[in-house]
Amino acid sequence: MGHRVTSADIPANGEQLPKSKVGLVMMVCGAVALAGLIASAFFLWGGADKPTELRGNFAFSWLFAVFYFFTIALGGCFWTLLHNVSNSGWGTSVRRLMENVGFVFPFMFVFAIPLLFPSVQTYLFEWMTEHKTAIQYAKDHGLEDTSAVAGLEARAAKHDGMLIAKNWYLSLEFWHARFVIFFLGLGFVIWKLRKLSVDQDTCSSPGTTRLFKARAMSSWGIAVFAVTLTFIAVDWVMGLDYTWFSTMWGVYIFAGSALNSMAVILIASILLRKAGFLKNVVTKEHDHIMGKLIFAFTIFWAYISFSQFFLYWYANVTEETRYFILRNTECWNILSYVLVFGHFGAPFLLLLRSDLKKKNNFMIAIAGYLLFMHFLDVYHMIIPERGPSVGNVVSHDPKLWMGGAWIGDLIAFVIVGCGFVFFLLRNITSVSLYPHRDPRILESANVHN
Amino acid sequence: MSTTVKRVYGYLAEFESASKLYKAAEKVRDAGFQKWDCHSSYPIHGLDDAMGIKRSVLPYFVFFGGLTGFLTAISLAYITQVEIYPTVVQGKPANIFTIPAFFPIMFELTVLFSGFTVLFGLLGLMQLPRLNHPLFASKQFARATDDGFFISIEARDPKFSAEGTKALLNEIGGANIELVEDEN
Repeated sequence: MGHRVTSADIPANGEQLPKSKVGLVMMVCGAVALAGLIASAFFLWGGADKPTELRGNFAFSWLFAVFYFFTIALGGCFWTLLHNVSNSGWGTSVRRLMENVGFVFPFMFVFAIPLLFPSVQTYLFEWMTEHKTAIQYAKDHGLEDTSAVAGLEARAAKHDGMLIAKNWYLSLEFWHARFVIFFLGLGFVIWKLRKLSVDQDTCSSPGTTRLFKARAMSSWGIAVFAVTLTFIAVDWVMGLDYTWFSTMWGVYIFAGSALNSMAVILIASILLRKAGFLKNVVTKEHDHIMGKLIFAFTIFWAYISFSQFFLYWYANVTEETRYFILRNTECWNILSYVLVFGHFGAPFLLLLRSDLKKKNNFMIAIAGYLLFMHFLDVYHMIIPERGPSVGNVVSHDPKLWMGGAWIGDLIAFVIVGCGFVFFLLRNITSVSLYPHRDPRILESANVHN
Repeated sequence: MSTTVKRVYGYLAEFESASKLYKAAEKVRDAGFQKWDCHSSYPIHGLDDAMGIKRSVLPYFVFFGGLTGFLTAISLAYITQVEIYPTVVQGKPANIFTIPAFFPIMFELTVLFSGFTVLFGLLGLMQLPRLNHPLFASKQFARATDDGFFISIEARDPKFSAEGTKALLNEIGGANIELVEDEN
């Protein structure tokens, strides 16, 4: 039996990670992210009228990198909301980490801005191009109504019927409105929740008021989260091919997102403890619980992604199979197999044992491994669309693979990743490491499972 | 008057509350007893550590139970659908690439066999079902399902002694200490 943590062990003003400890990392990451963002935005801007392969490839790279780190930030929002709404006690001592990961989300808007450039949308979203040319068509033919629908109806080209039917959702105005609403809605929720939690740190009479307020807010906030995650996934990734649809898409993204943000939270908590922080309140029991959540979501991810594949494979309906036909062709098929065994098989078997979940070095390795698998998973979602899409836009010659484009993927990944790390460290260093005046901090510190 | 010698099961002692039971359990554990148990009407967090119970071997049984189910499913589906009666359904090939169709079976049988191993392994390790238990001879033991907290130390334990164990139970705060004997 270990030492029982009492309020005497909790410093009255909390623990803080001094900025000086991570100052250098933050500065380097911030500089790389800022310089990279400006250079990339400059590169991606312009050239809408004269598309080039290089720009098109990098547009996909950028979407890939942004989406990868978005899923992790969104997962942080999810864990915060879930912790509040389920009235949990176990994780109060790591809740601030969840909030800090989640609060990266609103800052990520700056990295999403290039997706608003028409020159980027040309390569990514074919339906936008179709809408724009339909509007132009309506103008050129002197139609009274110069909306996209009128143009599509008048033009009546292949697939236009589908675009007309989907117009209520896939229209330029609504897409851009949603883009902003995602950030405002969930950004407000996570900002407010973190503020409630942070304000308590300096409150002289911390009671349960903020706890109840946070729970009440999370009860509708979790719906905001669900809608945001689902429709970001639909708008940015499923929209790459407007003829395809999957009703499981949102859950699929959610599974990977919750899994990998828990991996990030676990890594952060272990590294902080190695540096001598959080020691009073985070124990092996927390490692075990977080390990179990990672294990559970590994299975959930496999369950959802297999179900999506399985239904399409079995039903074999032409409109639905395109996604998997592309991804089961040649080299992409190898990646699909890697995901089956690497994203599910290996971590499933490794995480079965309970004693390994309490070994910090092992868990850092496996969490890092899972983040790499998530890299491949997001790659598998987005990048196979690049060859057909960019090839078509640039030279009307759809390809399967763009040679050398992976360099751009890595560059974009490093830039956005540095931004993610910068904002995460900024969040962590700006407030206490754990909510030391939360009424449930002792319950969490002494948790036993 | 009967002079038959009755078989002694062990000592039973009552404790006031869950926390007293917990403290007492730590002391019995430290005294080195092996065959003893705590009785409470609800689960007490951390009591297994206080009693010094080792991890059960059940998870290992379950792993192999699940593995058996998994292999059974693969063989069952593959041998019947591919080897013996190759069946073309929905234009799908009848070879190893039909395997996605077998996944639900593999999943279900893994879960089913794991579940069975949990249930029957648990019953086996707990030596259940049984018709009676010597402790039921004690009148006060009925309260273990209501508001009683008990510790029982079996006479089979090598450290057991009629005087010493009673003194220990007394010392750690046990009340109503009773020597439980087999009925008849």
